[in-house]
Amino acid sequence: MHDLLIRLIAGTGALLGGLALLIAFNKALREMREALDRRRRALLEPAIYEYANATGHRAILDYLPKPLSRRDRRLAEAALLDAARVVKGESRDRITAAFEALGSVRVSILHLRSQRWWKRAEAAERLGLMRSRAAAEPLVAAMNDPMGEVRIRAARALGIIRGTTSIRPLVLALTDPSRWSAIRVAEILIGTGTEAVDELLAAYDSLPHLARISALDVLGRIRSLKAAGLIRKALKDPHPDIRARAANALGHVGDPGFAADLTEALRDPEWPVRAMAAKALGRVGGQGAIAALCEALKDRQWWVRANAAEALRLVGPAGRDALIRMLDADDTYARHQAVAQLEEGRIIDEYLADLASADPARREAAIGFVEKIIRLERVDHLTQQAIDHAQEGVRLALLKILQRPA
Amino acid sequence: MTPDMLLPEIVLAFNRWVIYYFALLNGVYVVLFLVSLVEVVRFVKGTFFSDYEQILKSDMTWPVSILVPARNESRTIVETVRSLLNVNYGQFEVIVVNDGSKDDTLQRLVGTFDMKRTDKIYRRTLPTGPVRAIYGTLEVPNLTVVDKERGGKADALNTGINVSRYPLYCSVDADSIIEENALLRVVKPFMEHPQEMVAVGGIVRIANGCEVREGRVARIGLPRKPLPIFQVVEYLRAFLSGRIGWSTLRSLLIISGAFGLYRKAEVIAAGGYDRWSETEDLELVLKLHETLNRRGRPYRIVFVPDPVCWTEVPSTFRVLARQRNRWHRGLLQSLWRHKRMILNPRFGVIGTIALPYFVLFETLGPFIEILGYAMLALSWWLGLLNADFFLLFLVFAVFFGVFLSVAAVLLEEISFRRYPGWQHLATLVLFGILENFGYRQVLSLFKVKAFWDFLLRRRAWGRMERQGFRTAPPPAPAARRI
Repeated sequence: MHDLLIRLIAGTGALLGGLALLIAFNKALREMREALDRRRRALLEPAIYEYANATGHRAILDYLPKPLSRRDRRLAEAALLDAARVVKGESRDRITAAFEALGSVRVSILHLRSQRWWKRAEAAERLGLMRSRAAAEPLVAAMNDPMGEVRIRAARALGIIRGTTSIRPLVLALTDPSRWSAIRVAEILIGTGTEAVDELLAAYDSLPHLARISALDVLGRIRSLKAAGLIRKALKDPHPDIRARAANALGHVGDPGFAADLTEALRDPEWPVRAMAAKALGRVGGQGAIAALCEALKDRQWWVRANAAEALRLVGPAGRDALIRMLDADDTYARHQAVAQLEEGRIIDEYLADLASADPARREAAIGFVEKIIRLERVDHLTQQAIDHAQEGVRLALLKILQRPA
Repeated sequence: MTPDMLLPEIVLAFNRWVIYYFALLNGVYVVLFLVSLVEVVRFVKGTFFSDYEQILKSDMTWPVSILVPARNESRTIVETVRSLLNVNYGQFEVIVVNDGSKDDTLQRLVGTFDMKRTDKIYRRTLPTGPVRAIYGTLEVPNLTVVDKERGGKADALNTGINVSRYPLYCSVDADSIIEENALLRVVKPFMEHPQEMVAVGGIVRIANGCEVREGRVARIGLPRKPLPIFQVVEYLRAFLSGRIGWSTLRSLLIISGAFGLYRKAEVIAAGGYDRWSETEDLELVLKLHETLNRRGRPYRIVFVPDPVCWTEVPSTFRVLARQRNRWHRGLLQSLWRHKRMILNPRFGVIGTIALPYFVLFETLGPFIEILGYAMLALSWWLGLLNADFFLLFLVFAVFFGVFLSVAAVLLEEISFRRYPGWQHLATLVLFGILENFGYRQVLSLFKVKAFWDFLLRRRAWGRMERQGFRTAPPPAPAARRI
């Protein structure tokens, strides 16, 4: 047992010493390498910027020291990648040409087939920054990579490279099992704008459930009226998730002509659909929207009421008048929601300012309004204003009303 | 067998048993370290280019409600709220719940941010104590302050959940500062697995010794006093070696109350935070595991080592004793409450490995350690002590303890490197060695005392005496900026 312990102590001691050395060696090596790289890169960068800003036909290799060492090539590529993030216009094209001349595009394409997933992901990311069209096909192939991280970065790279060849694989990538990938792809498709609409409309029926949700989001965000027919159809889909996203998408497209569809959606048996429809109605407005939203204020679901009240506030003067009318509603929740939105929209503050008005009619209207809110027992905001409103006349008038017996 | 003969037998049997126990415990630690090492390397490799800017810009990123329960936090509350309002995130709201503070926490918030009472409507989904008032401000529309009667941290968090608007909420302690991109980092797992992800914990680091400017940690430094430095090493080991390991094994039991992101609907379905618990964060995670497992719902509760929350830790033994007493009592309460999960294969790795580990090593460990010292004296008194063996065993135990601490420093050095100076590194290694001579034993004593208090059903929150963050610094050129 003693021998075993001595061996264990020796082993742990060696391990400990090794660990301490490893930490120190790793830190020293890293710091030294970073310092050397910084110094060397500072020497290379002026040549790289000179190349990027030039107008002639000289290639990047003519600007860099010869023969170009592996380290210089790596540092030049790093500097170009940094520049690629900020530079636009002709300089951007020259940077792409520099990557091609340095062989960076070829090497990154090769790395797309690396055994290590992070190398493949890094290669895809770099290819996106390099923007070389030569990378489009290998990136389309990388969209089938088993690792989600690689697929996301390939999708992003394709979105940057653009070109019509990139759209279809991106639409198909909405079916990605990783939701993060699908969301990122949806973002990229939104970025491509109306170019994506036709492909999305053509592919929609063949997409699985979750991909359809993403497709509706994309179509709504692109705000293309061309997609209105499909989105309206989706409002009748058997899946409530799809109906809810369709309502949301109609709100984003924002045409007042959708008010009738959304009013009907406010009668959907599923509350998430009604909540989305209320929100969307606030965006599109249109005939009948106010009455429908006032009715939705009495919905049995809290979120539908909350969204309807907010929508009324956002819809403009007609919504504001409706909220004031709702202070007399039979439903307590509806009345309270109305007060909250009138407060948030600073409409209560407008009435409070009238308490000190020289016009007796406006003053009377304001007193009546304030009394109505007091009767609803929503007095926190009024009490605060009675203490610190900027106008003394308002403070005194409000205090008088608040002190009256109920 | 006479008592004279029985006692030496008991002592020898105990000593033998302690050796097996020691081997098993350190075996678990080594496995956790190795799992964490692989995961940290994987994590670092996978984040060579960050997606955070895209998460920030995306309209599809889930909005987050940040909940800050605060009681007598006058010294730090304004800095904390400023840091939260400056967080790099798309759509978010900050809700501070003033839990019946006796100091001027509420007045400082109202005065600094020009807040007014409002008639905000909220849904009372979870039962809570009475709310006195809700404050809002037009200058900072995404800040809400809820003033309520004292009900404890759990009650304050439940109130925050009720008032919050968004589907995810992040609980942040009022004495903590979260890094600019912390929310973006912690939300990423929700974006990657939106159906399954239920809670994500982030790493907590120690703010003592750091300089804070305008709600941001402007300069990272180690504390000046030794006690907080011991805690820096301890936190590194607990987070980088412990929680990453458990998270990888899909059996994370603790998400620090100082910084965690949760799916609101699941927390509400589990009944929210429990007022009776001393450690509402641990209890919530255990409850989530239990309810989600019983419902058969596929879920994930994970730890992400990258998001950083800076918090103040005790700098005196008196306050540390109170804090650890509460933590340990909370652990014991939760283990007792969820005893049906222990060794129950229905709960997978949690039931069969994680919870038994907590019972065997976290609960009984301090007793065995303290009993071991008593047995040592008894062995010597009975003439049973083999001095050579004892010394060798002691050296080995210390070496192994140091190895585990230095291994945590290695994980830090190969991954996040928040303490960049050579002096930082040397101090951490030194305190990794020193903590084996006194600090760890004191912590064990605190835990034994906590067990006793648990049996006597003593309850005390353990007031943390805040020093406040170090501000108005002269920036040192060698310091690393974040």
